[in-house]
Amino acid sequence: MIRHLFKEIARRPLGVVCLTILGILYLCTIFSQFLAPYLPTDQDLNNAYHPPTRILMVEWRPHVQVYEQVDPSAARYEPVEGATVPVSFFSSGAQYRLWGIIPADIRLFQVEEPHRIYLLGSDGTGRDVFSRLLYGAQVSLSIGFIGICITMTLGFIVGGVAGYFGGRVDFAAMRLVEFIIAVPSLYLLIALRGALAEYFEPEQMYLVIVIILSLIGWAGAARIIRGMALSLRQRPFVLAAEVMGQSSFRILFKHFLPNLASYLLVAATLSIPAYILAEAALSFLGLGIQEPGTSWGLMLQQAQELKVFTLNLWWLLLPGAAIFITVITFNVLGDVLRDIVDPRQQMVKR
Amino acid sequence: MYAVFFALKKPLFEFLYKFAALPKLALITCLLLVLFACKGEIPPLERKDHPLPQDAEVSEAEPGIYGGFLVTAESQQPRTFNPLVAEDAYSSQAIGRFLNGLTTYHPIKEEVVPELARSWEISSDRKSITLHLRRGVLWSDGEPFTAADVIFTFKALFDERYPNRYQGQYIIAGEPIGFEKVDRHTVRFTTARAYSPFLYVIGFIGILPRHKLIDAYEQGTLLQEWSVRTAMHEPGELVGTGPFRVHSFRPGQRIIYEPNPHYWRVDSKGQRLPYVDYLITRFVQDRNTSTVLFASGQIDAADIAPGDVVGVSRNAPLHGFTVHHRGPATGIRYLWFNQKPGVNEDGRPYVEPHKLEWFTNKYFRQAILHGFNREGLIQSVYFGRAELLHSIISPANQRWHNPEVPKFPYDPGRAIELLEGQGFEFREGGQLYDKHGNPVIFDVYASEGDDITPQIMSTFRENMRDLGIRVRVRYLDFGTLVARISRHFEYEAAMMGFTGGADPSGGRAIYLSSGRLHLWNPEQEEPQTEWEAKVDELVYASEETFDLEERVDYVHRMQEIFSEQLPLLYLLTPHAYAGLKDKWQNVHIPAMGSVIWNVDELYLDREL
Repeated sequence: MIRHLFKEIARRPLGVVCLTILGILYLCTIFSQFLAPYLPTDQDLNNAYHPPTRILMVEWRPHVQVYEQVDPSAARYEPVEGATVPVSFFSSGAQYRLWGIIPADIRLFQVEEPHRIYLLGSDGTGRDVFSRLLYGAQVSLSIGFIGICITMTLGFIVGGVAGYFGGRVDFAAMRLVEFIIAVPSLYLLIALRGALAEYFEPEQMYLVIVIILSLIGWAGAARIIRGMALSLRQRPFVLAAEVMGQSSFRILFKHFLPNLASYLLVAATLSIPAYILAEAALSFLGLGIQEPGTSWGLMLQQAQELKVFTLNLWWLLLPGAAIFITVITFNVLGDVLRDIVDPRQQMVKR
Repeated sequence: MYAVFFALKKPLFEFLYKFAALPKLALITCLLLVLFACKGEIPPLERKDHPLPQDAEVSEAEPGIYGGFLVTAESQQPRTFNPLVAEDAYSSQAIGRFLNGLTTYHPIKEEVVPELARSWEISSDRKSITLHLRRGVLWSDGEPFTAADVIFTFKALFDERYPNRYQGQYIIAGEPIGFEKVDRHTVRFTTARAYSPFLYVIGFIGILPRHKLIDAYEQGTLLQEWSVRTAMHEPGELVGTGPFRVHSFRPGQRIIYEPNPHYWRVDSKGQRLPYVDYLITRFVQDRNTSTVLFASGQIDAADIAPGDVVGVSRNAPLHGFTVHHRGPATGIRYLWFNQKPGVNEDGRPYVEPHKLEWFTNKYFRQAILHGFNREGLIQSVYFGRAELLHSIISPANQRWHNPEVPKFPYDPGRAIELLEGQGFEFREGGQLYDKHGNPVIFDVYASEGDDITPQIMSTFRENMRDLGIRVRVRYLDFGTLVARISRHFEYEAAMMGFTGGADPSGGRAIYLSSGRLHLWNPEQEEPQTEWEAKVDELVYASEETFDLEERVDYVHRMQEIFSEQLPLLYLLTPHAYAGLKDKWQNVHIPAMGSVIWNVDELYLDREL
């Protein structure tokens, strides 16, 4: 099934492009500690709002242009003529633990202290925006996966059970679903977030938010799955399985799940961007990830200052571009997947 | 669900649009604004020629010409127009436009000057002060102003039925001040103890018109009078002696003031002040919006944040304004450790005993301040437009600020030295342990919702990590934070700020060990430490002497103790910037307080 899917995607240029972009994004996220020259909390108060550094080739080796601050009151930096620092690749620096386990100190590229390399500029306390984007991606890109894992599991269990057993179980499950749909989610989020803020550190708020978001997000999926399960219930192969005395549990997982898989896959792909946007929106409102954690939404919120526009600090808006690209890619990929699994709804005639 | 999020994000896009439109579309925006303004109902002002009061005050400012309107913007609107109800600065500001006190503080001269009282005498025992009121002053509805109004105001203020924030101000040495009418234009106040800031504090309360409010006072409904509804539906009921009266009030949109035809100040040519035809305050969403409005020439005056100065100044030639540098701001921002001993209702200590031992150790506090790179923060976050704060009184308050206090600049080496001197030691991984072997870890609470706080806290956290101290930062909303520090006392450290007043008597709730805002260990029955006892003594002594130099000396010595002991770790004070259009004349920008404090003297130069 999976192999078939990949084959089908490979036949569609849009699908290939999307998969490639997402593949690169996720690879960068997984290896962010290796790729990022700095920690997301590494400050350099003398280099606040530093513009992206220019990379020059000197004797066939990449060098970083050195800048000096000419006007601290306007965060203006000018390149120093002829002063460059070589970029060193795969050299060792400060210790870190890859994925929290493997101790390592090799980074893809670095420059010698006290000079700094700012591929995408620096923020108000001189932290590297490029490094923060990579680390922020860990939150922003994983939040959707964790979210859909919870919602799809819950949705499948509740919807599948309701559709399969029907009757009172169905009634109870659907009333529960309606109850959850009726809860005004934004207010619930704000309230829960406020009530729980005291007990969690800013870094842990991330998990709290995913869980809150997914616990109120599964109801819609459960409804649709229940409808599909109701129709599956009448199909001969399910009846046959029942006649042969298979347990309900086995029927649910052996017969329902494969038949619902295509829907689950498309729904999941299409709802990941919703989670990414929700995280961004929450952080933007100050309800999401907080300092010293980092996420794209938080970075965008921190760029919401007048001086970003008046002093043309455009690089602080890059997290917005990152969100944009990710969301578009996921949506297009979702469309492609739907075309593959459901040819009747094909959008483009080929 | 996500639609709701976007609805909330909409203001940003509006804001982006406004800004993007700045240079090119400024004209269109202005036109739209004019259309909006015209749709409203600002009729031309007719000035009636009322006779001037006998004791009219002649302004020292240059005489000007009538006309024009001055537009400002505020992010909050008044919640009441009744001085006995008002708790917030925005309501007080609106009330101050139409009510006068007996005295007022002159921000340029930095001294108390007459307002409704024209002069005063202090008795030889310094416990009684006789104030002579201006004769011939009329309320804005034409009724005469007399000593009866003053007595009525103070009676209402001390009435048990009407709790208000002034009562605390006017209870001196445990007793309410005494007040009596001597004749139609003289009142006498008595205090239980000689109290030198008296003339300053007596001006806080706006004198109320007896003839308008006596009925409500007797029925016990005084606090329901002069609400927002009054201003909306019957602005004429808001009677005062101030330079303006409320013309109309639209919540969420704007408030318009017009000149009080009976105002008691005139210029040297005998023209009655104020010169402006209308004073308009627009209510906007936040500070960013008012900055954008100012930068695009739509309002006449605004406070500008240090980070926005360069950007806003770019538009100065286009719209004819200047961004004035006012020096350090009056507000102080600080971080402090909870030093409250004892246990709460459940028998748990407010602060764990080993942590309390660190927090009550002044060398520990000094080390923390030495380890905090405030200089770097000024460089980066404030674009160099801020300065270090060393004293509990901001350098903006030049008269009272003591520049010669102990200072603790960024010096991690010295910090480590101090910590090691107190038995702290570094162990594996660079973590700091105290002499009993406890790792040094503490939580800091800060309030959410301003963009500078997270940057300060992140820097603090990084700096403390370099000292081997683990700091956990928790963000709470402001109300929760205040409850935690002033009611439950369950916190280890917190960061907050105060806005400062002109006279140090305004800070006694912080300074005195019995004070409600003595944050680190409030409302002590007896001073817990020697230095706190010494501070109490100095505060009382400074309030008893009427000699200014002697008072300044006491206050300077008090600041020295505070800076040595560091119960509050003073952080920094940003510089204040105020933008004002060049067409306004008679502008004198003070170091503290409102830029348009002398709005009655401002006039429009038509040529600019």
